[in-house]
Amino acid sequence: MSAFISLKDVSVSFPIYGAGAASLKKTLAASVTGGRFGKETGVTVVQALSNLNIELKAGDRLGLVGHNGAGKSTLLRTLAGVYEPTAGQFRRQGSVTSLIDPALGIEADATGMENIMLRGLVMGLSKREIDRKTPDIVEFSGLGQYIDMPVRTYSTGMMMRLAFSISTSVNADILLMDEWLSVGDAEFTEKAELRMREVVAGSGILVLASHSPKLIEKECNKVIHLSHGKIVGATDVPEEIPAFMEAAGIVVAA
Amino acid sequence: MSQVHSNLHRSAWSDWWEGTRRTDIWWTLAWFDIVLRYRRSMLGPLWLTLSMGAMIGGMGPLYASLFGTELSKFFPHLALGIIFWGFLSGTVTDSCNSFVNAAHYLRQGYFPITLFVWRTLARNVIQFAHHIVLYIPVALWAHISLSWDALLVFPAFLLMIVNAHALGLWLGLICTRYRDVTQIVTSIMQMLMFLTPVFWLPENLPGRAQYILWNPLAQMLDLLRTPLMGGEASLHSWLGILGWTVVNIVVCALLFRKYRRRVVYWL
Repeated sequence: MSAFISLKDVSVSFPIYGAGAASLKKTLAASVTGGRFGKETGVTVVQALSNLNIELKAGDRLGLVGHNGAGKSTLLRTLAGVYEPTAGQFRRQGSVTSLIDPALGIEADATGMENIMLRGLVMGLSKREIDRKTPDIVEFSGLGQYIDMPVRTYSTGMMMRLAFSISTSVNADILLMDEWLSVGDAEFTEKAELRMREVVAGSGILVLASHSPKLIEKECNKVIHLSHGKIVGATDVPEEIPAFMEAAGIVVAA
Repeated sequence: MSQVHSNLHRSAWSDWWEGTRRTDIWWTLAWFDIVLRYRRSMLGPLWLTLSMGAMIGGMGPLYASLFGTELSKFFPHLALGIIFWGFLSGTVTDSCNSFVNAAHYLRQGYFPITLFVWRTLARNVIQFAHHIVLYIPVALWAHISLSWDALLVFPAFLLMIVNAHALGLWLGLICTRYRDVTQIVTSIMQMLMFLTPVFWLPENLPGRAQYILWNPLAQMLDLLRTPLMGGEASLHSWLGILGWTVVNIVVCALLFRKYRRRVVYWL
């Protein structure tokens, strides 16, 4: 049973509730007064993703590029199962580790150790498995004695290291990442990239959203360029990726 | 959450079960909610017991003399009234925010929403456990004698859990979509606190006002409190609560089935 991801004509649209539409009182008032007093109850619909067609099989490492607000994070969340597509067909096979929000489940007042337990549980591990993995997690994070301190005393980088260590302690068939690796220092970024490759290994799928052309060129064998929720360019020839990135207007910041 | 199988489109029933069976997750989250809230305080969660103890100890003698009732009869009634009302009202108002407070979980991965309904309920049960111990000295002081009928409090408690979960689920859904319903619920609960025999004795109610006792919270309170005071809850209360349980479960099933996947769009 190998991993695969398949999106056929997938669209995701969001209802955006203005302050009025989230109020029962205003909605009732609007229905009673024929909409005259209910202008703020209008629900705007935002088309976040439109007609996406993507096929990924085991071993694929997909890079997602695009401007801010293009829909990269929304696509990652759809792949993670957070948003059910409002149209189209989405099929996915394999266990998923999502590193979209590294601060997920992190409780600021709890210690690093307690957060390992919390996050591990939320990831679907049993208490025994978490206890077994804890020494490796602590070692990989490089936090040393800070692991017993409350997480609110950590710097952002330290918190990312902890979150990354916990999340990647499990081998996943599908790894979803929203770029934030740049927060770690150079030494950790190297370790993280190695770990990332291990986790996905030969039989996994990686989907990585990034603004960094170097990272994409290094890690990915396919790239998709998103703009305003649509795919405006794609390539699955690894050699063509640098040229594709340049044509897409994604250049290394000088 | 890492998924072992690839079934994306779980049926409503298996979605509900998936959240319910992970007791390790929601129980741990509930405990952490409490432990972390009191982490930097002097006495920790013991404050839960002390603050409730102060309220009961202060109100008991005062209200007994205000109502002109004997303290030994009134004190257990008041203590259990405040303790159980604290649990009922706390659970209802907390449930409004079950999903809103779990937004960062729900927005990152697929989480069965029932997980967070159980977490809220478990947290309130833990707080309740810190409060119910206060009844023991009160019962001893008032020389309450319990018969075997007292065991009926357990099925009553079970019924309460079922109702609290179902109510928490559909109320949580509504309150996530319409944010002002939370305020409405809080106001209603405040009003009901006085309309329900939490502080006052139901036997002091004049005959023509008996219908006030028909509210489901009053009936629930009767089922829970009376056995612990050595009495027997009325059949009227049992039937009433069983009826409300059915209504609750039906409403919950309908709303859950329709909106369980839309909640994340409302956050």
